[in-house]
Amino acid sequence: MKYDVIVVGGRIGGSISSLFASRNDVDVLMIEKRQEIGSPVQCAEGTTFSTFETLEMKPSKKYICSEIRGAQVHAPDGRTMKVEEGMTDGNILNNNTISEGYVLDRRVFDKYLAIESAKVGTDVMVKTTVKDLIRKEGKVCGVVAKHLGETMEIKADVVIAADGVESNLAYKSGINSIKNPDDICSCAQYELVGLDIDPNLLEFYFGRTVAPGGYSWIFPKGEGIANVGVGVRNSTETAYYYLKKFVSKFDATPVELNIGGVPLSGPMDKTYNDGFLVVGDAAGQVDPITGGGIHITASCARIAGEVAAEAIKEENVSSMSLKRYDELWRDEFEDNLKTSFKFRKAFDKLSDSDMNALAEFFENNDLEKISKLTTLKFLGKHPNLLKLLKDLL
Amino acid sequence: MRYVVESCGYCGACVAVCSNKLLELTENEIIIREGCKNCGRCEKVCPLGALISEDAQ
Ligand SMILES: Cc1cc2nc3c(=O)[nH]c(=O)nc-3n(C[C@H](O)[C@H](O)[C@H](O)COP(=O)(O)OP(=O)(O)OC[C@H]3O[C@@H](n4cnc5c(N)ncnc54)[C@H](O)[C@@H]3O)c2cc1C
Repeated sequence: MKYDVIVVGGRIGGSISSLFASRNDVDVLMIEKRQEIGSPVQCAEGTTFSTFETLEMKPSKKYICSEIRGAQVHAPDGRTMKVEEGMTDGNILNNNTISEGYVLDRRVFDKYLAIESAKVGTDVMVKTTVKDLIRKEGKVCGVVAKHLGETMEIKADVVIAADGVESNLAYKSGINSIKNPDDICSCAQYELVGLDIDPNLLEFYFGRTVAPGGYSWIFPKGEGIANVGVGVRNSTETAYYYLKKFVSKFDATPVELNIGGVPLSGPMDKTYNDGFLVVGDAAGQVDPITGGGIHITASCARIAGEVAAEAIKEENVSSMSLKRYDELWRDEFEDNLKTSFKFRKAFDKLSDSDMNALAEFFENNDLEKISKLTTLKFLGKHPNLLKLLKDLL
Repeated sequence: MRYVVESCGYCGACVAVCSNKLLELTENEIIIREGCKNCGRCEKVCPLGALISEDAQ
C-alpha cells in the first residue's frame, strides 16, 4: 500500500491536516487507533469563533452546545473578576484571553471533521495503531500499523503525526519530544447535569486548595449541563481528588468522567524532519497558561496539510522543504506561545495571597483607567508581585 | 511501577513524560515495556492515580 500522505491520529489535528491535504489533490490516509473517532472526550470543549474562520466553515448547531460571552475569574478568597464581551479581542482559551467563543460537543465535532475529510477523498482506518515509522536512509517513508492483530507496512512520502499528548512518533523520527512532568497539567472533569449557572459564562477558580498549579473550570453546555473540571501540576494529590472536592459543593449529577494531560511546555524546538511533520498536542501547540489547544492545533494542522501537499507536488519532501510548515506556524503563534510560557512560569510563583491582592486591586480599580501611580503604590505594598513584574519585563 | 488497570482512564499523559519511552497507550490499557526504573514521572501526571511507584506501596 502506498499513499502520498499518512496522517496519524484522527481528532482535531489529524482530521484537519488530512482535510487540507486532500483538498489539495493528494492521496491521503488517516489512521486512528480508537474504534470511534472523538471518543473518549479529553477536553473542556471551549474554542474561539476564529477557529471556524481558519477552517472556512460555518459553525453548526450540530456540534455547538453554547455561545460564550464572558468569563468570571474566582480568586482563592472568593473575590471575583468578570471579563465581558468587548474587553478582549474575541479569542477564548487562546492568546491568553478567555472571553468569547463556543463550547463544542467534541465527540460530534471531531467526527464531523473526519467525515468532511473523508468526503474530499481521505481514506480512514479506525481501530488501527501506528506502531512505528518506516525509515530509509534517515528519511521517514511510511508507517508500520496494526489492525486486529494484523501488522502491515504502508508507505508514504510524508507522515503527519497528530497523535496527541501520548505521541511517540516525533521521538521515533528523531525529534526530542519527552515532556517534563512539571509541564503537564493533569486534568479530571465531570459533565454535570442539574447546575444552576449562567449558560453564557465561563468560570475559572484559582488557589492552592482548589487546583495547585492550575485552575478549576465550569464550561456551560446549555440546559444546566456543564463541563466541570480541575487541572493540577506538581501536586501530591491527583486531579481526581481535587475534582471530587470541587464538585462536592454542587447539587448536580455526573454523566461522564473525562481525564487527560495537557502539555504546557510551549512549542517543541523542531516540528519537521525528512518526510515528517508533527502537529497539535504532539508538537506542544497549546497555550501554556490556559491549556487551550483547539484553535492553535486547527490552524497548524491546516498549514501542515497544505505544506505536505505542496511538497509532494514539487516532489521534494526533504526536511528543507517541509521546514516551511515550521516557519509558517511559528510566524502565527510562536511569539504568543513563548510569552504565555513566560507568564505561566511567573504565575507559578504566585501565592494565594498574591492572587487575592491582585483580585482586590482589579476589584477596586477600573481596568481601563488604572493610573501608573495607583499601580506603583499597589506594587510597593506587594514586593513579591513587584519582583515578578520585573522578571517579566 | 505498579499499574492498576481498573483505575486507568486511558489518557496517555504518562506516555508523554516517560524519559525512556517505555510506555504505550493501547485503546484501553497502558503497556509498560521492560527497563522501567521506577522514576515516578508517570505517577506525577496520572489524573486518576493508576500508576504507583513500587516504593510507595
Ligand atoms: C481535560 C482537558 C481539557 C481541555 N480543554 C480545552 C478547551 O476547553 N479548549 C481548548 O482549546 N483546548 C482544550 N484542551 C486541549 C485540547 O483538547 C487539545 O489541545 C486538542 O485536543 C489537541 O488535538 P490533537 O488532535 O493534537 O490531539 P488529540 O485530540 O489528543 O488526538 C490525538 C489522536 O491520535 C490518536 N493516536 C495516538 N497515537 C496513535 C497511534 N500510534 N496510532 C493511531 N492513532 C493514534 C489518539 O487516539 C487520538 O484520537 C483540553 C485538554 C484536556 C486534557
